[in-house]
Amino acid sequence: MNFDPLNAVLIGVILLLAVGFYGLLITRNLIKIVLVLQVLVKAVVIALVLAGKDSGNLGLGQSIAATVIVADTIVAVVALALAVQVRIRVGTLDLSKISSLRG
Amino acid sequence: MTAILIGFVIGIPWLGALILWRTSDENPRLQHTLAVAFSIAAGFASLALIFFSSAETAVDIPMGAFFGSLTFTPDGLAVALTAIACVIGSLAVVFSVDYMKGEAQLSRYYTFVLLFIGAMAGLVLSGSLLFMFFFWEITALCSYALISFYNDDPKAVAGGIKALIITQVGGVGLLSGALITYATLGTYQISALLENAGTIPANLLAFVAFGFLIAAAAKSAQFPFHTWLPDAMEAPTPISALIHAATMVNAGVYLLARFYPAFVQVPGWALSVTVVGLVSALITAFMALTATDLKRALAYSTVSQLGYMIYAIGVGGFFASQFHLLSHAVFKALLFLSAGAVIHATGTRDMRRMGGLGKQMPFVRNVFILGALALAGLPILNGFWSKELILEVGLADGPIWAYVGMLLGAGMTAFYTLRMTWLVFFGEARDSSLHVHDAGSAMKTSLGLLAVGTLTTWLLAGPFGGMLHATLPFHSMYELSTLELVEEIFSAPATYIALMVVCLGLGIFWMIKKQAAAGKEARFDILSRESFGFDWLNRQVTSIIFKFATALQETQTGKLNWNVFGILGALLAVLVFLLWSA
Repeated sequence: MNFDPLNAVLIGVILLLAVGFYGLLITRNLIKIVLVLQVLVKAVVIALVLAGKDSGNLGLGQSIAATVIVADTIVAVVALALAVQVRIRVGTLDLSKISSLRG
Repeated sequence: MTAILIGFVIGIPWLGALILWRTSDENPRLQHTLAVAFSIAAGFASLALIFFSSAETAVDIPMGAFFGSLTFTPDGLAVALTAIACVIGSLAVVFSVDYMKGEAQLSRYYTFVLLFIGAMAGLVLSGSLLFMFFFWEITALCSYALISFYNDDPKAVAGGIKALIITQVGGVGLLSGALITYATLGTYQISALLENAGTIPANLLAFVAFGFLIAAAAKSAQFPFHTWLPDAMEAPTPISALIHAATMVNAGVYLLARFYPAFVQVPGWALSVTVVGLVSALITAFMALTATDLKRALAYSTVSQLGYMIYAIGVGGFFASQFHLLSHAVFKALLFLSAGAVIHATGTRDMRRMGGLGKQMPFVRNVFILGALALAGLPILNGFWSKELILEVGLADGPIWAYVGMLLGAGMTAFYTLRMTWLVFFGEARDSSLHVHDAGSAMKTSLGLLAVGTLTTWLLAGPFGGMLHATLPFHSMYELSTLELVEEIFSAPATYIALMVVCLGLGIFWMIKKQAAAGKEARFDILSRESFGFDWLNRQVTSIIFKFATALQETQTGKLNWNVFGILGALLAVLVFLLWSA
């Protein structure tokens, strides 16, 4: 089996995804959740560039990746602001303790 | 011109709904005025539209590849039902000015009434199955909102939810029929379905046909879905008139009439339609015999009369069914609105507490009697002509057992109609604690107009039939002028048989009116109050759905970790499936 650099990137993407999903499964702290989501989204960004390279539309992949980065930054900012508000109003960042909105 | 008028009959009520939604409840005078103005404008637009009826598609707006085109076709059937919805709807709105005086939240009330009228016009005018479904669901939503208008009354809320759930069952039938049509013919256009029904594989066509039958039965409260309509009586009475006469329940009959030419070739379909109509007409007439609630008795009679229309379609009497729909809309609106005047005046719906009201409210008594005679089918009121026409077609083209059943239904109709009138307006007053006052002027206006309609709409039979004949290329029917129709009805033996049965029904009531009036038929009472067990069945279905929903609620833990676990599990399952099939 000859070595293809694209494969190495793909393996990296999968590893990042695995780390992100594992983090989502076990994390209960809201701030950490935002961090874990960032890891997941970075994996997606790399995957987008990779897919663009692989299919010959490198420009398309890169532009979508840039869009995702912008959107994701906004998500992170809003999520962190929410986390601060939750901490102020509820007094904790533990997810299992703030599920009072459950219907 | 036609396109503008179509825009008016749908757009004016919806614009009114939008404006009334934003009005403040602090100013009821403005709300009444706006609602009356918009509904009457829509009524006039719908009357004008009658003169522009044609088989041509008047509006065609492309909506993209998937949704097809939003088309409106003002053919005879559509404009007639639009006129019924808008004109009788506007009379119900006029009536509401007196009836809803002093009620809170009029903005919500009038918004949904106007939305309802516009949606009904859109439903019948639509030339595309998909958009017909869209309007169909809006009418279901409005009926739910209006039946539950008194939303602090648990019975009203339960009645609304019941109506919503049952009509949704029908909506599924309509949607699946529309999707099958799209899958086989590649279009949602109704005219394409009527034209090319023969090219659809027989088993799929049967699926569409019976799906539409379920949809129609649920919407028109026919057997076995007849239980929602009596429970819908918790609504304010003008809403009952609106649902029973102008909108909603007519949609089911319309659906069957519209697609009759396409489905008549499906084996067993016409017979099923006949049986649904027959069973509905009979069992609800039976339930009306013992009802003690004035509005419930009227509701049962609506289901029964709708049964006559469905039966007429089943035996091929397309014109007879639509003619009866027109007559029924007028006289049932009259009956409901005069019942509303009585209920408004006495504060009760229990007929056992009324009695002798005729002296205090002579005007309401007179118009109620007029409507009752039309319902019973006595000449020369409009109900007589259309019912005789249905029975004549049934005798000529339908199975004889069904005809005998319908004849029996006509006798029972006469019986319960007289019983209702007698209990409410005649005899001596049974409850002296009732403070009765006569109807207000807005009430009298709409009652008077409907009474005139009850006396005269049968004169329109000839032009109505001619319009249907001219604009419906796929329906085979013969054209008759009103005069020829009158001659035909009076020369047919079926008329005299039916009249005899009607008189028999009236006579039997007259002989046993002491027992019948007291509401003492305890033996049948329980049977009919429980709708022969169908009410129980419906309750079980509803409670099972609720239990299932509660059980599903447990899976919503609200914990992020569990949700991610679920997402990953689903992702894994999809991956495995893809690798497996690759």
